[in-house]
Amino acid sequence: MADPYQPRSPFAPWDRRELPGMFDVEESARRIGNYKWAEIKLFEALGGWVATVPELDVKMRLGTHCYKHAWHSELWHKRLPELREMNPDRLTQPPNDAMVHFVEALTEPEAAEQTIEKLVGVYRVFIPHFVAAYTFHKNNTSQITDAPTIRSLHFVLQDEMDDWRDGEMLIQSLLRTPDDVARASAHQARLEQMMLDAGGIAGPGSIGNPYAAGNGATTH
Amino acid sequence: MRKFFPVEELARDERFNQVTMKERMADPRSGLPSAPGERSRSNRLVPSRPDASQAARALMHGIFVGEIQALEGAGRTCHDFRTAGDSARRAQDDAHDGVDTDDAVPFALKLDMARQAWDEARHVEISVKLSDWMGSEIGEFAENTVLFQAACSTDPILRLAGVNRALEGLAIDVFTTMKEFGDLAGDPFLEFCEDWMLADEVTHVKMGSDWLRRVTEHDPERRKKALEFQGVVDKLFSYGGTRSDSQESPIGLARRFRELAGFSDHEVEEIAEVSLAALEERKAAVAAMQSAARDVEQLAGG
Repeated sequence: MADPYQPRSPFAPWDRRELPGMFDVEESARRIGNYKWAEIKLFEALGGWVATVPELDVKMRLGTHCYKHAWHSELWHKRLPELREMNPDRLTQPPNDAMVHFVEALTEPEAAEQTIEKLVGVYRVFIPHFVAAYTFHKNNTSQITDAPTIRSLHFVLQDEMDDWRDGEMLIQSLLRTPDDVARASAHQARLEQMMLDAGGIAGPGSIGNPYAAGNGATTH
Repeated sequence: MRKFFPVEELARDERFNQVTMKERMADPRSGLPSAPGERSRSNRLVPSRPDASQAARALMHGIFVGEIQALEGAGRTCHDFRTAGDSARRAQDDAHDGVDTDDAVPFALKLDMARQAWDEARHVEISVKLSDWMGSEIGEFAENTVLFQAACSTDPILRLAGVNRALEGLAIDVFTTMKEFGDLAGDPFLEFCEDWMLADEVTHVKMGSDWLRRVTEHDPERRKKALEFQGVVDKLFSYGGTRSDSQESPIGLARRFRELAGFSDHEVEEIAEVSLAALEERKAAVAAMQSAARDVEQLAGG
């Protein structure tokens, strides 16, 4: 039996976590406030659309996904006070006006014949940008000091990936003609342009800057 | 997307047929059997009823479409009311509505509604599979959209009173009856599913009870209005005495589960009285129609 008093390393040989991270407390809180705002907008949209889509399977998926994004917003809501933001509403904001315009355009389609546009906006534009912003955050924040955020990001990313797959399969099943494909592409391009203006879920720097000089990406 | 969505525009595929409450109750395949001699003293939905299979299928279809509307209603509440503190949305709403109103709701209330949307989506999944199991199909019976109408109020608290307390309360009664039906009929599949849905419904009614009390804590007038609205919806759904303590009603009043969901004894008694009164009204109406028919027969014979 090993001697229990023999000194061991505080970090096991397989634990390669590091202290440095790209975000300080303030920057982390700012991003999380943006995430919470965007998740709220998404669950509001999904909930609102349930009554507007005639396809029964889509209707049920939207209801299911509505809750998942509400839960994500709750996770971020609970994280904010832990980042010294005692008034979570203060940071529950869009990163800029362009993001507000993006959400307005995303939620424009209402008619029963516009299920393709509704799904494309969510599953081909909004959710892929969530996945990107969350992945960047997870991979760049301090693995030790910001472990609670990383834990939430793991849960949230799992949901986002599952929902992305669900949504993409629904879209593919609805695209029956070349005209359908053209509609989907046109709407995606319009929204993607608006997201470009917004700079991503947390504004410019949502996924860092791969063109910055140096060895690693920066947020600017 | 508009803030409030009209019931006439609920999106459905071509299998669905929407009708009014009155039209649905007139469908001889649902509600109380109407021909004299056909009905026993008890109309409670039990396997020994001669029309039990058809009545159970009709009720299951009613549950199915009710769950769709409950899903839609919960989703709309997530969308129609902004979260307290959402200044960007408030500016949008004010610009869109042209009036400076503040109909914000607590963030946690919206989270509860999103949770309910997921629960209702599962209930749609469950009831569509149960309908198939029971031998019916989507669209075999008509859909009346009165449930979603109760979710169209522009006051979120009225929605909670009408949908979560009145209609989800009715769902507690319906699921309890169906669970018992499954038990008596020796159908563990039906009993199992109804039991799970019943647990969710108790949660939804409790959400409604809790939020009604919390949000109107310092606004007795609003609470009174909400409870009055709940009373109207309760009465509407007691139409024809379909649900009451009497064995003459197909669906019983699930007193114990209603208590768990936050109803006071007084509130349960009120619902019991309204339901019995509705049953008596229906019986009087049926008696009057039968009497008129006899008069016509006598005249024709004479």
